[in-house]
Amino acid sequence: MEDVWAGALWALRVWLYLIVGLIMIPAMFGFSLGISETYMNILVKTLEWATLKIQRANTVERTLNVSASNSLIQRGNGSMEKELGELRRSRPKPPVGGDFTFSDCFYFTLKGIESIVEDEVTQRFTSEELVSWNLLTRTNDFQYISLKLTLVYGLGIFVRYCILAPLRITLALIGLSWLVIGTSAVGFLPNSSVKSWLSEWVHVMCYRICARGLSATIHYHNRENIPKKGGICVANHTSPIDVVILCNDACYAMVGQIHGGLMGVLQRAMVRSCPHVWFERAEMKDRHLVTKRLTDHVNDKTKLPILIFPEGTCVNNTSVMMFKKGSFEIGATIYPVAIKYDPKFGDAFWNSSKYSMVSYLLRMMTSWALVCNVWYLPAMHQQEGEDAVQFANRVKSAIAHQGGLLDLQWDGGLKRAKVKETFKEQQQKEYSSMVVGDDSSSNSD
Amino acid sequence: MGASQTRSESVYQELMDKTGFSLEQIKNLKKRFLQLSGNEETISRENLDAIPALANNPIRKQIIEAFFDKRNQRSSEVGHLEEIGFEQFVMVMSHFRPPALRTSVEEREVMRKEKLQFLFNMHDTDNDGVITLVEYRKVVEELLSKSGAIGHEAARAIADAAMLEVASTNVPDMAPDDFYEGITFEHFEQILKGLEMESRMHIRFLDVDTSTMRCGKSTS
Repeated sequence: MEDVWAGALWALRVWLYLIVGLIMIPAMFGFSLGISETYMNILVKTLEWATLKIQRANTVERTLNVSASNSLIQRGNGSMEKELGELRRSRPKPPVGGDFTFSDCFYFTLKGIESIVEDEVTQRFTSEELVSWNLLTRTNDFQYISLKLTLVYGLGIFVRYCILAPLRITLALIGLSWLVIGTSAVGFLPNSSVKSWLSEWVHVMCYRICARGLSATIHYHNRENIPKKGGICVANHTSPIDVVILCNDACYAMVGQIHGGLMGVLQRAMVRSCPHVWFERAEMKDRHLVTKRLTDHVNDKTKLPILIFPEGTCVNNTSVMMFKKGSFEIGATIYPVAIKYDPKFGDAFWNSSKYSMVSYLLRMMTSWALVCNVWYLPAMHQQEGEDAVQFANRVKSAIAHQGGLLDLQWDGGLKRAKVKETFKEQQQKEYSSMVVGDDSSSNSD
Repeated sequence: MGASQTRSESVYQELMDKTGFSLEQIKNLKKRFLQLSGNEETISRENLDAIPALANNPIRKQIIEAFFDKRNQRSSEVGHLEEIGFEQFVMVMSHFRPPALRTSVEEREVMRKEKLQFLFNMHDTDNDGVITLVEYRKVVEELLSKSGAIGHEAARAIADAAMLEVASTNVPDMAPDDFYEGITFEHFEQILKGLEMESRMHIRFLDVDTSTMRCGKSTS
């Protein structure tokens, strides 16, 4: 019994030393030992091999999947007037009293059925489909192809759950607790440039440890455009991990609601060392108060740039949805950032209606790795004669273009809410003016 | 072909025969069904109501109701369902299936009649086989704006005039005091006789032509 305990303790110590030596120290000082690069290379080779095997075995499935991932049906491109006109032309003669017939119903019925078969918005809130299988059953269902592939898959499960996951969980715990301790410690110092330098160092270090905890490989592009103090950084939102990804490289001031529990502890600790903008739940509803606090923060040039996700919700990283105009009304310099995850190694999208935060994090930690690209775009300002909505759309297009994402006009809030009645009424108005307009020329009454 | 391929094919074979969709189209519709239902077995009216693109459509209520109408299930039952499963979903969709490359004239006639029956059922909400003036008025009101350019009275006038036109076309020697019950399905077909809908009124799937593909496991 004693031996078992002694052995276990010894193993634990070795484990911890290994972690500290091989992962934490490099993370703290920002250099790399090359272990993750080797891991990634092996991973890429394995996945390519697996893909080839599946492709050879399943020619039919592969080609069909390719066509399915883009679009299901072909929709008519004509406007409402053109299509209705064509339908009506084939009728014998128009009735008196309004150019309205059943054929118009047909048009709307077809449009409705097309929407039911496929619509742009619902697609954005399910995970992206992969053309090939990346050995994770959560992405595609398991198909038995060959013994070798199944063995590799089994080995993959073992590696991911028994080796990688505990390692990552340990790292994440260390990173978070160090964040709390470090920022609280720095908070005791008097305000000075040393304090801000130390606080930035503590923040970046802890985020680096957390990033290692997710096996994240991040490629930063265009670092000359990195956000500067007194500005607002906007980015597209895919999951809460975006924060870790962005903060690995620079320091930002966060904006958000104060939570209770563990998050609350983190938030209160962070605000001790450098100013973040945390709101009470009641304050979030008051738009003027929110705008005022953000403006004050931005105007103080010593404070860090604010990080905001204007979509307001997590989207599945194939498109960018409508940006809410609040942050664009402040009039500060906007630094757009585009984040694109590589879906081959793991699906980073947080479907908050399907998974809770904890199960999402566990899924992240049992994926192969997280690979993403971050592009810093040049700063943008609101131009003369441009209102906040147009400015927001301009920034959104720039981000979508850089990241290779689809630029959509729909509101991300549609994930949970319904479309406003005003949209439906607009269509009705357009159609009725068509009917009445024609009517005035043919009506005899 | 792997084992999974034949299994799914046999499960959907019956559905393919009944509805005329290809295997790939059914699989895609199944994915869509699961998306809409939130991975449940059935879809309710609320699931369809939540589609944002459908919100623009003035007759969206009628379209959604058509999915839950038993008459569109090609059985002789009447009434409404509360929830539908995947089979019923595909049955309703089959009214708008793309015509196969080689359809005979009779088959086209059948498809045309199906589409007309679907549209007729959409208007005839009380299932009595006749579209009355009241039912017709409702459709007109839905199509035209409730709040904007056309008021309630004007919409009614348009509906009444159109109904009168139908009556005079179909029952030419009706006395002025006769009560016109409504549009029967025969009248309906008559009105829309000239309407060319075959080339337009179906869903155009972006298909890969599976007939030229060879399935088979190469030696690995």
